[in-house]
Amino acid sequence: MSKEELIKELSDAIISCKKDNVLAAVEKAKDAGMEPAEIIEKGLAAGMNEVGVLFERGKLFLPHVMMAADAMAQGVKLLETDLGAGATEKKKAVIVNGTVEGDVHDIGKSIVSTMLQSAGFEVHDIGRDMPTKSFIDKIKEVNADVVGLSALMTTTMQGQKEVIEALKEEGLRDKVKVMIGGAPATQAWADKIGADIYAENASEAVKQVKEILSV
Amino acid sequence: MATEYDLRMGDGKRVFHSKNQIMDDLEAGSADAADLGEISALSSNELEKIAEIIMTKSRMVGVEPGKEVPVTHDIGTLRIDGDQGNSGVGIPSSRMIGCMMHERAFGADTMELGHIDYSFKPVKPVIAQECQAMEVCQQNMIIPLLYGAMPNMGLYYTPDGPFENPGDLMKAFKIAEAQESIEKSADHLTRDMIWIIQHMMKSSSDGVNFDTTGAAGDGDMFATLHAVEALRKEFPEMYIEVGMAGECVLGMHGGLEYDGKTLAGLWPHQQAPLVTKAGANVFGPVVNTNTSMSFSWNLARAVTFIKAAVEASDVPCHVDMGMGVGGIPMLETPPIDAVSRASKAMVEVAGVDGI
Ligand code: B12
Repeated sequence: MSKEELIKELSDAIISCKKDNVLAAVEKAKDAGMEPAEIIEKGLAAGMNEVGVLFERGKLFLPHVMMAADAMAQGVKLLETDLGAGATEKKKAVIVNGTVEGDVHDIGKSIVSTMLQSAGFEVHDIGRDMPTKSFIDKIKEVNADVVGLSALMTTTMQGQKEVIEALKEEGLRDKVKVMIGGAPATQAWADKIGADIYAENASEAVKQVKEILSV
Repeated sequence: MATEYDLRMGDGKRVFHSKNQIMDDLEAGSADAADLGEISALSSNELEKIAEIIMTKSRMVGVEPGKEVPVTHDIGTLRIDGDQGNSGVGIPSSRMIGCMMHERAFGADTMELGHIDYSFKPVKPVIAQECQAMEVCQQNMIIPLLYGAMPNMGLYYTPDGPFENPGDLMKAFKIAEAQESIEKSADHLTRDMIWIIQHMMKSSSDGVNFDTTGAAGDGDMFATLHAVEALRKEFPEMYIEVGMAGECVLGMHGGLEYDGKTLAGLWPHQQAPLVTKAGANVFGPVVNTNTSMSFSWNLARAVTFIKAAVEASDVPCHVDMGMGVGGIPMLETPPIDAVSRASKAMVEVAGVDGI
């Protein structure tokens, strides 16, 4: 079996959302001498990205995303010994995610949290209708690398700007990447308020966070 | 330089596009819907017709004579009195005045009574007042008056309700538990909605409007379809309108079915037959506006989805047109240039039966 075929099998196994398929594909790739890092990056993670896209297109559903994420975690575990001590213990980037004050919409925000967590990030979802202070406190407490700010209404988008201002006041702005989202948000709004990332949906959010953190 | 036409982005921002740009966006928007819904894209004639509507040199447009359709209003009762961040005008008045103004001054063809929270669950403790308000409105009105509210199943999850939040369970990889929580909430919601509407029917309501069905995902839609089915059985003559929350039913549970069809992932043309089967007599399809794309892109995309829904539906389709839906930009007061153009396109190209 060629490397391309092995990679495809790994990624298909993730898309099937079945743990057994994933474990079998990982074993096979290992036996064929593929590098663990490559198995994870080119095979499993690529499959997980595709799961995100299929979710966005209404072809796979939230339980599938979770099953795929679980299967991926188990697959990575199989590779742990080969990766050498500490390789998979690599500190995960920490993300604080929440809906800004005055806004109780949390369905989309929670999906974003779930997808980020499935992609291997340490996610602290602080909930909805969260005052600026709660974001700042949590960012400090968990030493966050990224903060996600959701707003679903034109009337609450201002809250995203307020958190950015507060980060500046606290001297934290350079340490934390700010990601904004929610239906009324646009790239133009992100530029205007000085956010680092705007993502239209959850799988895009995962992609952008990975890019900006180069992970 | 080519003539430029003023239109808007999905966030309401004014932009100027040439006819070529408009045509490109129309084509891309329609192709996006066709791709997602696996439905036909609009023909070049239809795209041309939408372009003409967009490029009309007047602030607002209207349908051709003879093509008028009924307009119904959800939550309109409160639009006069309330300012809830969504086009309310905040003129102190009662709900009855709101209903009567829509009937007598604004030309609404049907109307609905709703309460300030607008979700079903909180109606339970104030049912007597809702019944009384319905009776008083009915005594003063002629057009059909429905009772309207949102299924809003999220209110049955912690911290707002008795069942553990499936979002939290899901994040802890407790998938089966999350699904069970959704199923229990759906049963509870179905019971509550039936109970509330039974009371409203006793108080001479003409029917019910389930507004933003599916907001909490497939469980929300599941609960609503079962409530529709039960109500249709009990009240064969009542009006039942099912309006959606978004274009695609979110798969939070993933396994819930109605009439042998998985509810998660359904697009408007797939939702229509199920809503009809359950016993509704009006379907309110929704297409979301993308705030980053132009009005042309959003409108062609919305018309493509809605046209397929109209074709697939055996009951009248009253498309949901408002802030951030149906091609209309997301602004607190949806701009009339966009609202009137989008509405005209929905009637003349998508063939909707009402708005
Ligand atoms: C469901 C819903 C509700 C539910 C929310 C339940 C809940 N627990 O979330 C309830 C019924 C409670 C509700 C209440 C209200 N709502 Co509401 N609601 C909606 C609705 C129908 C769907 C939103 C939704 O969940 N979509 C599905 C999810 C998956 O999509 P999403 O949220 O856009 O998320 C995706 C992306 O945006 C992105 N994303 C989201 N967050 C983030 C964060 C980050 C960091 C990133 C990167 C990406 C990202 O990724 C997600 C996944 O792909 C919308 C209309 C619509 N169709 O959009 C109106 C809407 C948002 N609501 C609206 C309004 C006005 C209200 C109310 C004020 C109504 C009222 N009069 O009481 C109240 C708000 C009260 C408050 N203080 O917040 C308006 C907002 C208008 C405006 N001014 O902008 C809308 C647009 C409806 C309308 N046209 O009038 N609502």
